[in-house]
Amino acid sequence: MKKRLLIANRSEIAIRIIRAAHKLGMLAVVFQSDRELDALYLNYADEIIPARDAGNDKPIFLDPERIVNLALEHNIDLVHPGYGFLSENPDFAQLCVDNGINFIGPSPQLIRDMGLKTVAKSMAIKAGLPLVPGSDGPVNDAEAAKAFADKIGYPVILKASAGGGGRGMRIVEKPETIERNFKSASDEALAAFGNGDMFIEKYLQNPKHLEFQIMGDKHGNVVHLGERECSLQRKHQKIMEEAPSASVTPAMRKEMGDMAVKFAQSIGYYSAGTIEFIMDEDGSYFFMEMNTRIQVEHPVTEMITGVDLVDWQIRVALGEELTLKQEDIQIKGWAIECRVNTEDPQNRFSPQTGFIDKIHFPHGDGIRIETGVQSGSVVTPYFDSMISKIIVHGENRADVIEKTLKALYEFSLIGMKTTVPFCRTVLQHPEFINATYTTRWVDTVFTPEMLENDDDELIGALAATIMYASEYLQLSSDLPTYKNDNLNVWILNKRLNY
Amino acid sequence: MGTSYIYKRDASRLFIALRENGKRYKIYIPKESSPVIDGVEQDIDFVEQEDFHYAFDWKGKRFHCELVSRDQNKAIIKVNGVEYKFSLESLFSYIRHGMIDKDSNQINENNIVAPMPGKIVDIFLAEGDLVNAGEAILSLEAMKMQNEISANCNGVIRKIRVQPGQSVMKDELLIEISSIDV
Repeated sequence: MKKRLLIANRSEIAIRIIRAAHKLGMLAVVFQSDRELDALYLNYADEIIPARDAGNDKPIFLDPERIVNLALEHNIDLVHPGYGFLSENPDFAQLCVDNGINFIGPSPQLIRDMGLKTVAKSMAIKAGLPLVPGSDGPVNDAEAAKAFADKIGYPVILKASAGGGGRGMRIVEKPETIERNFKSASDEALAAFGNGDMFIEKYLQNPKHLEFQIMGDKHGNVVHLGERECSLQRKHQKIMEEAPSASVTPAMRKEMGDMAVKFAQSIGYYSAGTIEFIMDEDGSYFFMEMNTRIQVEHPVTEMITGVDLVDWQIRVALGEELTLKQEDIQIKGWAIECRVNTEDPQNRFSPQTGFIDKIHFPHGDGIRIETGVQSGSVVTPYFDSMISKIIVHGENRADVIEKTLKALYEFSLIGMKTTVPFCRTVLQHPEFINATYTTRWVDTVFTPEMLENDDDELIGALAATIMYASEYLQLSSDLPTYKNDNLNVWILNKRLNY
Repeated sequence: MGTSYIYKRDASRLFIALRENGKRYKIYIPKESSPVIDGVEQDIDFVEQEDFHYAFDWKGKRFHCELVSRDQNKAIIKVNGVEYKFSLESLFSYIRHGMIDKDSNQINENNIVAPMPGKIVDIFLAEGDLVNAGEAILSLEAMKMQNEISANCNGVIRKIRVQPGQSVMKDELLIEISSIDV
């Protein structure tokens, strides 16, 4: 009998997982949320479970008990959580395991450990991973903070140990201001969280975000599949990713990759995972955290390695041994992913909702489209603004930049604004082209005017004029003295010639 | 054959699109050839038209345009996903609003005056016609020679002060022209 795989997710990743399930001869089962009754992914599934979540305060994808209950009702063998939602919720993973459902991901305990920053960091230290220099625990007072900062060098960042949302956080550029900043941040933290304890850490001004993809099985085998660079972020969320990274030399790749593998092995990790590093301008790098899910940007790694990560996630969950050997994993060419979010890059990336009148994707060699929508789809305010991903594979970095730019010019969406023009701007910017861009690029370099260009402006002027003129000339032609035909003669001629 | 001029007579086909940032496009839409933008005929192909959506091909690229909003003569157009806001004027409303030739009450250097005394033989254009720089507007006979008098700018004929057969003095005002070159 065919195995039944339930996807506790929606949109493009649901379709991606359905594809993987079918490749392994499984039946793909999905939920239909009342918040999105006509979602595209439903068309691809073998079986649909109506979630009837309209009256609930959260959609089905965030409701562990209901997911597991429905899974049991529908004789589900495996659950794939995708990314986001409950993908890194250890209680959900545990609930699946307790009910005899195979959760596709690492063990619930490891999800829990990696989710707690302090635990993850101490495990990383044990495995010999470098961490951003900082105090191991809270520093006692302003003087101790100053002494510590003098030792590790400025700038430093002061963080409230109970902090969040930027409160009780200060970036200190020079020794003269550290005492004052320490006091104000500590007071702020005390007032906000009832705890004035402060940590101190070296502050990286222009960091790059790098991450290593690893894949492990339940038999202790772990390989890495190279790195991705995800420095291009807005609101601390990734928007474009590339693999490999131009900032990682083959020697560094080996060093960091071995480190990632060693870390994963030391904690007994299996399934797909990502080890995130932050890299300073001088090339020094530090462990940040580990993600225990499949990531949005996994296709860039698949493009350059030829390895199907979701396929392996499922096979590992079934207990299969990895047949991938580290020495067999070769990086071929370069890949870029552009996220298509319904956001307005001309207005601080504010989300857009509405109706997609028409969407057209680029096609061609080396272009991969992952989409959760089609023409006629509705973008609701209930879920994430990412509707599609455009992934392009080229021979080398210059080639893939050129190919991606062309592909993005082929993309069109009528009805809403998207991040595609932003991605086009990035691809043409010198700091992207020479690969010196950092996570601060959007905040410090990008301005909405950079989205504009002279050719688009001229065509816009022409289009506006034609719309205006056709009315204007229509009016004039109603006058008895008007001697010309309608404007559309040019337009019709052009269309016939085309 | 004489010179082929880009502007044809019909001034009702000339429009001005002004952007918020002050940039201005003069767009002439001929009946059966490509549009003339700021005096240059552009090889732009009109490939799609559907309600509020146009697509053009130009310089080997596809341009998707979508009318986002429209309020009287103001329009927001999305081109390849980026919004541009324009206000649109016909040539006549543009002139009426005094946007061209702000000093038109004073002496306009684009106006045509008689370079010598003589007799108007013929006038080739009519009021309201578009004229190209260097294009002959009238013929003036002086000392038994016929001289063609040409426009010194691209513009629109606002007023014709003389008639064929009329004798004129040197420096007499013949034709008033509003320049569309800015």
